[in-house]
Amino acid sequence: MRAAWLLLAGGALAAPILAQDATSVAVPGGATAQGDVAVTIYQNGQSLIQDTRRLTIPAGRSKQEFPDVSAQIRAETVTLTGPGIGIVEQNFDYDLLTPAKLMEKAVGQNVTLIRTNPATGAEVRVPAKVLAANGGVVLQVGNTIEVLRDDGLPVRVIFDKVPPNLRARPTLSVTLEAKGGVTPTTLTYLTPGLGWNSDYVTLFDDAKQTIDVQGWVTLTNNTGTDYSNANVLLVAGNPNGGGGRRNYTTPWNPSTGTIDQPGTESSNRERLGDYYLYPLAERTTIANAQQKQVSFLDVKAAPARKAYEFNNGWLATNDAASASSVLKFSTSRSGGLGDQLPAGTMRVYMRDKRGDPQFIGESMIEATPMGSAMSIRTGDAFDVKVKTVVEERNRISSSRWQTKMRYEFTNARNEPVTVDLGQEGLWGDVAIIAQSQEGKRVSADRVEWSVAVPANGKATLTATFDSRY
Amino acid sequence: MRALLALVWIYAATPVAAQSIIVSDAPESVSLTVYRAQDRGDRPIDPNWPRGYALITETRTISIPAGESVIRFEGVAEGMFPESAIVTGLPQGVREKNRDARLLSPSGLVDAFLKREVTLLRTNRATGVTREQKAIITAGPHGGVILQTAEGYEALRCTGLPERMQFGGVPQNLSAKPTLSVITQSNEATTAKLTLTYMASGFDWQANYVAHAKPGDDKAIGKNKIDLFAWLTLANGGNQSFQNANMMAIAGEPNRERRPEQARPVGGGLSLACWPQQRTHQVPFNPGFIVDIPPPPAPPAPVAMAAYADENIVVTGQRMARAEMAAPVAVMVADQEDLGDLKLYRVPEPVTVNAKGQKQVAMIVKPGAAFDRIYKVRVDEYGRNDGASMPMSILFRGSNRKEKGLGLPMPSGQVMLFEDSNYGPLLAGQSTLSDRAVGDEIEMIVGRSSDVRYAVTRMSETVEKQRFKVDITNARSEPVNVEVEIPFELRGKPKHIAKVDGIPTWKATIAANGEATLYYELELEKN
Repeated sequence: MRAAWLLLAGGALAAPILAQDATSVAVPGGATAQGDVAVTIYQNGQSLIQDTRRLTIPAGRSKQEFPDVSAQIRAETVTLTGPGIGIVEQNFDYDLLTPAKLMEKAVGQNVTLIRTNPATGAEVRVPAKVLAANGGVVLQVGNTIEVLRDDGLPVRVIFDKVPPNLRARPTLSVTLEAKGGVTPTTLTYLTPGLGWNSDYVTLFDDAKQTIDVQGWVTLTNNTGTDYSNANVLLVAGNPNGGGGRRNYTTPWNPSTGTIDQPGTESSNRERLGDYYLYPLAERTTIANAQQKQVSFLDVKAAPARKAYEFNNGWLATNDAASASSVLKFSTSRSGGLGDQLPAGTMRVYMRDKRGDPQFIGESMIEATPMGSAMSIRTGDAFDVKVKTVVEERNRISSSRWQTKMRYEFTNARNEPVTVDLGQEGLWGDVAIIAQSQEGKRVSADRVEWSVAVPANGKATLTATFDSRY
Repeated sequence: MRALLALVWIYAATPVAAQSIIVSDAPESVSLTVYRAQDRGDRPIDPNWPRGYALITETRTISIPAGESVIRFEGVAEGMFPESAIVTGLPQGVREKNRDARLLSPSGLVDAFLKREVTLLRTNRATGVTREQKAIITAGPHGGVILQTAEGYEALRCTGLPERMQFGGVPQNLSAKPTLSVITQSNEATTAKLTLTYMASGFDWQANYVAHAKPGDDKAIGKNKIDLFAWLTLANGGNQSFQNANMMAIAGEPNRERRPEQARPVGGGLSLACWPQQRTHQVPFNPGFIVDIPPPPAPPAPVAMAAYADENIVVTGQRMARAEMAAPVAVMVADQEDLGDLKLYRVPEPVTVNAKGQKQVAMIVKPGAAFDRIYKVRVDEYGRNDGASMPMSILFRGSNRKEKGLGLPMPSGQVMLFEDSNYGPLLAGQSTLSDRAVGDEIEMIVGRSSDVRYAVTRMSETVEKQRFKVDITNARSEPVNVEVEIPFELRGKPKHIAKVDGIPTWKATIAANGEATLYYELELEKN
């Protein structure tokens, strides 16, 4: 949040304002086997790592190990390419070296026991053979059989060697055929744990009816691995269809409701299929357990207007409730933000009387095309309220009812406001037979009115609905 | 390969067996045919617990003495189904086949030495002097061990003093691991070449597709060419490695039945129920199959708020050199053959399948398959998002036929779709594929497009009909093909909506940066 505040307070600022923190750029752990790393980060928490290493490869067939890959590497996604390289096979081995594993693999082999006398500290070396390791290690010591450390006294077990195939870390190795020599090879794989999101800082100027919007990318690395001096490319999109045939139904996550009218404009940003690319201009180090913010959008004084919305779900009497404060603007090239917006959170600020920005609310936005009309619901309006009253309910016939609704609007602000009232629950067959002001039937289920409410005043709307049941 | 004629050192009090015991510790050659986990479908393998199985065929050469002998097989997969084991090649056949799961372990020793003499060693912590004492195990191992000493009856290690038991030898019928053995008879000392065939759990495989989509040659709308590459990904979750194995994989679903109750391994640590007790054992009891700790995932780190404002970099364009190819060049590709109604993939050279390892060998290399790029939605959830603009699914549709550049069996697995960008090919979608036979349609949903969107609005409703509007918007700078599936009976059989597989489907091309609107009416049942 520090960066956001400084930017708001400073007004026009897009250039780097904070010097790079030296500690955050240092590579913990020192040397790495990583080569020239390009990290492509998607919005579903997956990343594509392209690691170009200059390897000295012998001619013919050889096995190459690749240390310093992501600790969470999805091994089945590994691809190795390079000039003159043919792949024979790839292996990912995760038989890890642990004390229990060491003992299990020593069954049938000789070890050395060093017994330490608890009182004197004197050490006695005894050769022994491991017979079994099943819930306790059975040893043959001389002519007798005993269980290791059965009496709880200190005994060191010395092994001659570590069994082959046991490793400190899961290991990726590729068997390849090559012409030989120093070869630039690119290792490509997917890893979870590295994701990004966008955060929008929107400063609304009520007097000028404009907004300043800054878009920030927030990168988070939980892969357990540092990526040093990497080329970073962000992809705005979730490249996961989640399956095959017949899986193109409505996405389960409902719409954020922030797009009033989707746009059809294309921006000049670089693309990958259906997704937009946000390359970082400079190489950067993404340290493990680090969150990093990068700016990608900076728009000044785009037109915006404040509106009030109130939704009534049923034809029912309700106490006065606050209307929603809504900020409306466009992402169009002309008269808008002039860019498509990656999915993220938009936080809205306004200046107080002293000129300091204060937070007035936030809303999730989905990936929004350029040219869209948008509504950001920032919260409830303290001073603008709507009360709904069922005035009359008359039975017209055995299956028809008439309901007369009265909507009372109150405005405690010292300026006139317009409230967009939506009445839902009309089920298509409900007809409006009388209304005090012309409304707009936007769908079978919903009718909308725009009602002007004077400063420090009231307004009333009445409508009569004819419905089944 | 070595075959050990082990002179087994027999515990003195045991009746001397007339059998000689031969330990065959490793195979000379091994073949491994891996079958997929049933009902896994197109979900990925769990490498720590592969649920499929394998058929393993091994050849072993052993020396058999004259008379009756017991041949113990070591170095087999620990997930072996002993009932499936077949041993051939013995001069006079197999008389008896046993799987012994009585394990050499602390509790196994106590059980075997019940009512027998052991040596008890007690160490004085203050002086370090160890006193040796003879004792007879009176009861155990369940619920503790009771010993009879010269001083009377005592409970083992309920003293708080360091106590350990020494046993006089290894009981013959206990083994270090669950072991398959056969009893055979031979008239003379000879050398035999055996074949051991068995099935074992703890293996699995799947296909991993790398699809590189490129614009088609003819520049027609939505026509793409996909270079298809697939790995055969095989996982071995067990503790046994297989050196230089002939590796095969089977696609298809052979029927499998539930295995009846098996003899469970017995043995393990001593559990002493004492008046105060304080003991732990460091080595876990391994019942014979994968109870290992999986590779540790990276610890989830707390969100570092301090690092929040570390760097401010303005995003602009910069060209970076990246890989040109999405798929590798394979020099070894598995051969496919038919095995009855199943598909068999044979790795042409011997490979080593490591314990707890995942292995990949190329299985499909098929450049230039024809696929259509389609934006698709099925409008069947009315009311939930009435009028809201939603992203359409991105679908690649092809056909598994030769003239479309495919025409080969495609086993189920995961798909990574790459598309070209200014930075080389990058991941642009992920999907899964179920088993596709030759001739089948192939549909891969690889993601959703925020630029090609739809919104469904219920315009009106009467007792007989509902009228709907679907708005499609295209913010892409090129025309796109869209398909809207309406899985209901339409009113008036409109000409522009044809039925595809029985489902009314509207197909249209939306102009670059264009819009289109579809109206249709549903027939309502009168009530």
